[in-house]
Amino acid sequence: MSESVPSSASPVVRVEDLRVVFPTMDGDVHAVNGLSFEVPAGGALGIVGESGSGKSVTSLALMGLHRGSRARITGSIEVAGQDVVSASDRKLRRMRGNDIAMVFQDPMQSLHPQFTVGNQLVEALRVHRPEVSRSEARARAVRSLERVGIPHPQKRINSYPHEFSGGMRQRVVIAMGLMCDPKVLLADEPTTALDVTVQAQVLDLLDELRTDLGMGLILVSHDLAVVAGSVDEVVVMRHGVAVERGDVRTVLAEPEHPYTRALLAAVPRVDLSRAQRRARDRAERAQRTRQEQRRSTGATAAGEAGAKEPDRAFAPFTPEPKEERGEPLLRVEDVAQRFGVRGGVWGRTTDFWAVKGVSFDLFRGETLGIVGESGSGKSTLSRMVMRLLEPTRGRVEFEGRDITHMSERELRPLRRDMQMVFQNPYSSLNPRVTVGDAIGTALRVQGERDGRKVRRQVQELLERVGLEPDHYNRFPHAFSGGQRQRIAIARALILKPKLIICDEPVSALDVSTQDQVLRLLSELQDDFGLTYIFVAHDLAVVRQVSDRVAVMRAGEVVEMGDSDSVYEEPSSDYTRQLLNAAPVLDPEHARELRAERVRRRARAS
Amino acid sequence: MLTYILRRLGAGLLLLAVVTMVTFAIFYVVPRWAGRTTEQLATMYVGRAPTPEAIQATIDRLGLDQPVLVQFGEFVRGIFLGAEYRFGRDVIECAAPCFGYSFQNYQEVFPEIVARLPVTASLAFGAGVIWLVGGILVGVVSAVWKGSLFDRLAMAFALAGVSLPIFFTGLLALAFLVHAWGLFGTPGYVPLTEDPFRWAQGLLLPWLTLAFLHAAMYARQTRAGMLEVLGEDYIRTARAKGLSERRVVLKHALRPTLTPIVTIFGLDLGLVLGGAVLTEQVFSLNGIGRYAVSAITQSDLPVILGVTLFGAFFIVVCNLVVDLTYPLIDPRVRIHG
Repeated sequence: MSESVPSSASPVVRVEDLRVVFPTMDGDVHAVNGLSFEVPAGGALGIVGESGSGKSVTSLALMGLHRGSRARITGSIEVAGQDVVSASDRKLRRMRGNDIAMVFQDPMQSLHPQFTVGNQLVEALRVHRPEVSRSEARARAVRSLERVGIPHPQKRINSYPHEFSGGMRQRVVIAMGLMCDPKVLLADEPTTALDVTVQAQVLDLLDELRTDLGMGLILVSHDLAVVAGSVDEVVVMRHGVAVERGDVRTVLAEPEHPYTRALLAAVPRVDLSRAQRRARDRAERAQRTRQEQRRSTGATAAGEAGAKEPDRAFAPFTPEPKEERGEPLLRVEDVAQRFGVRGGVWGRTTDFWAVKGVSFDLFRGETLGIVGESGSGKSTLSRMVMRLLEPTRGRVEFEGRDITHMSERELRPLRRDMQMVFQNPYSSLNPRVTVGDAIGTALRVQGERDGRKVRRQVQELLERVGLEPDHYNRFPHAFSGGQRQRIAIARALILKPKLIICDEPVSALDVSTQDQVLRLLSELQDDFGLTYIFVAHDLAVVRQVSDRVAVMRAGEVVEMGDSDSVYEEPSSDYTRQLLNAAPVLDPEHARELRAERVRRRARAS
Repeated sequence: MLTYILRRLGAGLLLLAVVTMVTFAIFYVVPRWAGRTTEQLATMYVGRAPTPEAIQATIDRLGLDQPVLVQFGEFVRGIFLGAEYRFGRDVIECAAPCFGYSFQNYQEVFPEIVARLPVTASLAFGAGVIWLVGGILVGVVSAVWKGSLFDRLAMAFALAGVSLPIFFTGLLALAFLVHAWGLFGTPGYVPLTEDPFRWAQGLLLPWLTLAFLHAAMYARQTRAGMLEVLGEDYIRTARAKGLSERRVVLKHALRPTLTPIVTIFGLDLGLVLGGAVLTEQVFSLNGIGRYAVSAITQSDLPVILGVTLFGAFFIVVCNLVVDLTYPLIDPRVRIHG
């Protein structure tokens, strides 16, 4: 390659045969293994892959942020004509923030909590342009904040990060990235920690900045739908290798690599209905069991295999028509929850209503999806239903019994009928308790004394949720996120509950793992006739598992109904707004939605 | 901000009141639970000649036969308004703030404490500066060069500092550094106003000894805190901006590291100001700690009570100062205050 001044034609980022190796006790880990791509000036590239695919390692390598760690980097990374791999520390520092700026995943953590945002923005400029005066730098910071859509930037520049919401903080991080007019902006999962509507706003902003400022954009995400509408080209990574690379339309429409196809199939789609998803899952399952059966009848004596699985599993579980449902399993009447918020001179508490009166009935075998953004009260509601919280007002009936104000003692026998699966499979399992004990404890608590019996039951269940019986004695750290969530599901199932409340059960998982866990939940519902309350912020996921959907906002249900009708013909403006913000896979459709959002925002302002 | 200050001040005053009550209870109520009679109690206040008449006089004088609450009221009144003890024709005056009167030495306690305060304060502040600066410096360098020879040596040294008591390190220092090798002059106290140079010279060894104990803790705390902060996302952000490593460490990482250290420093300084008992004893510095030790050996209850209250007062005040400086260090406190 020639040492030419980068013109508009030459790529602003060029990565060739990049390899990143981490030496560990168990030998070298090849996090990135021969990756190549280019980003033309003003172009946009998406890097997509699941956790462990090497996408974040790649983005850190682009910034030269592996310096000082043990990583061994070979190959070449050229940013604005400067080779990152061989550059001196000083040259590298001059490049960071100046030629290439980075936006990180978690805006809550990526700003310094003890300096004002103005201070941090000014620093970002003055480290590269010390000749710019302080007041001039401040003026630029105000303009930059204004550019990313922070209201009253003149005033807000003196605020600390904790005085901003998550979406606003991410805007501040982006504004900081813009301070030196970089040639390329590198955004590593910039919207993963944000709500759907905020995610759409941030993605729209990135797109707008790219077109207005002619800046290159590298968008790294685990979600194909997130990058679909924002990039021209996409690289699909797996195990440190690009399995597919090309124009985003081609890759999404006619994926060549089987992995890309699998990834695309796993992405939850807002336009796929509950019935379609169930039909697909059941057909796949029937086929799978048929294959297994054929294999086992071939291997062992016939007849035995036929009796192995209960026939019930294949019988499609059709919930009875509404009139014949009889008494609801759960009846929630106008429940509300008040929290006291301390403040004022003498620590007086002011009331905050997290849930402001919600009513619904839940019938056996049904799934109610509760969807809403953070702070909508969906988790508080599910905790009241579980009676982990006592409702301030209203009434909760479970199987006809009023449990609203029952004491913990009275509740204990009922606890086995209602179980919960939590969001974070990493923190909801005690790291010092074996998987077998974690699952079996519930049995023992409820009075089972026979250790062998507990063990047998737990092992059967482990197999049922797709794990091995000999995982019994292992500790949680030996399992991946998806496997841990299976363990959590087994733990909820061991007491054969009637109702399971899933609080964001898949939001911490990769798309393909997400898909597997959702499939498992639906199979278990078929087999055990379970009733679910499924709480999530992801509209697509909720649609696929729910018979009915309640959309929550600020402690109230703004819309509730049959899931297809809520999604096809939303009656409330808020639901429409949410649906409009949900990322979609089709790049053309994504751009249409974006245009509509921009119009809507222009009208509003 | 003002509400925060007011609330902290209120809490500080409340705490002082509680401390006074508890201390009073320890000296006036608990001995009775242990079965001491009023006469036995009075004997401890009587002074050098415990004749029955003298004892009875003491009981009358101190109101030891009065209900506990009345006695407490008298005690609190003494702090604010001063007290008078009648002894036959003699009237002993204890001017406000009266923290008690030593009948063994015929001295008011408060002026005695105040007279010794410069010694203890000189010791505490001098040592405090050394252990704070030294501990943080060592901690930062250790964290940045984690696993280096310096780090390992410093941490071993720190472990020694935490584990070795003053009466060991102090005596060792005296034996070798002063007497055997003559590197330091004999420790002693010369008022700062009289001769700043001799003031520092005389206190240097006590400072170093006392600082060694505390610096060790601070070095370990700083190192652990710094390592944690260096792993934070906002440090990665700072590096991604193109800041130099020095700026990253000294501007972005140091401040959050120091936040919890300020809290500990306030407590430690308060504790030492209330009397660095061992250090003063080892180096024969006539400070508050030594005053307390002599009172304990003589069972001079009023003095012990006075010193205890005084010490508690310092801890509460230092805590208050820390609480009030906290919002300056960590902006998030302002909102939640």
